[in-house]
Amino acid sequence: MNRNRLSMVQLKTDLSASWTIAKKDMRIYYIKPGTLMFAILFPLFMFLSFAVGKNAPAAALIPGLISITILFSASSIGPMVIPTERRVKTFERLLSAPISFYSIILGKTLGGFLFSLAIAIGPLLIGLAWFGTQILSLLGLILGLALPAFCFATFGIMFASFPTENPGDIMLLLNFVRLPLIFISGLYIPIESLPDWGQAIAAFSPLTYANDLIRYALEAKTTYSPALDSIMLLLFTAVFLFIGRRLDKKFRK
Amino acid sequence: MESAVEAINLTKYYDELLAVDHINFEVKTGEIFGFLGPNGAGKTTTIRMLTSLTKPSEGTARIFGHDIQTETIVAKRHVGIVPEISNIYDDLSAWDNLMFTGELYQVSKAQREKRAMELLEMFGLLDRKKEKAKGFSKGIKRRLTISMGLINNPQLLFLDEPTSGLDVQSAIIIKDVIRELNQKGVTIFLTTHNIEEANVTCDRVAIINKGKIAAIDPPERLKKTIQSVQSVEVAFDETPLKIMSELEKIPLVNEVRKEGDKFRLYTDDPTNVLSSLWEYAKAKNLKPTSLNTLGPSLEDVFVKLTEVNVKANRRNFDE
Repeated sequence: MNRNRLSMVQLKTDLSASWTIAKKDMRIYYIKPGTLMFAILFPLFMFLSFAVGKNAPAAALIPGLISITILFSASSIGPMVIPTERRVKTFERLLSAPISFYSIILGKTLGGFLFSLAIAIGPLLIGLAWFGTQILSLLGLILGLALPAFCFATFGIMFASFPTENPGDIMLLLNFVRLPLIFISGLYIPIESLPDWGQAIAAFSPLTYANDLIRYALEAKTTYSPALDSIMLLLFTAVFLFIGRRLDKKFRK
Repeated sequence: MESAVEAINLTKYYDELLAVDHINFEVKTGEIFGFLGPNGAGKTTTIRMLTSLTKPSEGTARIFGHDIQTETIVAKRHVGIVPEISNIYDDLSAWDNLMFTGELYQVSKAQREKRAMELLEMFGLLDRKKEKAKGFSKGIKRRLTISMGLINNPQLLFLDEPTSGLDVQSAIIIKDVIRELNQKGVTIFLTTHNIEEANVTCDRVAIINKGKIAAIDPPERLKKTIQSVQSVEVAFDETPLKIMSELEKIPLVNEVRKEGDKFRLYTDDPTNVLSSLWEYAKAKNLKPTSLNTLGPSLEDVFVKLTEVNVKANRRNFDE
């Protein structure tokens, strides 16, 4: 009983510390030029360079734009913030506080998650206002924004576990993985149109499920089903957290 | 009385390198404990293990009875940490830095605001309260870092090189605060390169060399262990060329060191060296402006205990 109570107190402490860390990151890092470039301009121009000139109606491009925006914005915060904080030694301030390691990671993940949600609202509003996009499933939309945002935030944190003090090193590595994901996840070519081997590869990309869930919410079209998309995104989140923790333990002797 | 810190066989390997070699020591509650050693001796690694930033390879430590490996979070609650590098958030104001740290340590809003005001006043930072830390000098940043380490009213404060490279005013403020905190019962664990600072501040001193504890004792007791190292300190109204080599030739002088405008002549027999020195001054027509006989300093103890290392380094350099 006593032990349970202590665990509950520690959990409350950890959650509160995570929120404190997320608030601080929002204040300090959201408007840094590097963050804005990697999280907003980069996905926007990436998307425009492939979407402009296509014959598809503009409304059909909105789910893809939202997916790519979430991928880039959510996964950029951790790799921007953590190496910077390692360099100026403020990350050690967090590590030496009486909180669990997971509360630090949750705090950093929340930073990417909330940032990504705020950014993703942009293309959604543009679609709703000018391109005839409709919200056909509100629950699907909430899940379609929240689950990918959280998943890609942990994806960024996993990469940020590499022991460097230079955000550029992580961004380079991250883009090496993020950019191919765009082409194998059904953003430009529907999954159904891909060859069998393409469909098999797409199944290993979290962006595939994110895009499928958003398409379900806005177009009522789905390849896998919203339930499977949600489960897969949660599974990817758990895997990214696990690998991130293992990498951190390995590198932070 | 309960120990503030107990290091039990504490060991750290970095791959093949043995950085800290099975050290054992105790810091008593309420004392100022100095941790001295040359660069690379294992000071920072030890402090990082004690503050749970680095996992020991072998052994463990207890902070107020709480094991740093099995009760990490409870152990951390008793501690304030001031690392060697001032790790503050440059984009936040002094006030916001304190509020953030207080919140992280679960200090209630009313408590952290009250405490922050006390600390800003104590460290002479009240007028800089709303300024972003980005524009602060090294000394002001250091004062703010220490304030942040104290926001949770810790029972034990780890201070890594607190006054290194600071302006005189900041160094004086920090030294005064250390004494004041200690009078209020806070245990201080201090690492420093400034041996004189350790001599006048610490109740006990540990000297670590090559990852091993070479000695632990109060500064005065450590000095008594090398009573053979005595010296005569002299300053003249003028400094002729070759004076160093001439002083070295005085009988019974083992070594001469120049310290500012003074010369320190190490000897086992200060009385005879004094009379020889007097004759030398007369012969050279020099007037002594200051003359003292000195016992061994803490620096002498430090040099003696870490001498092998110094000589080895010199030899490597010469080769």
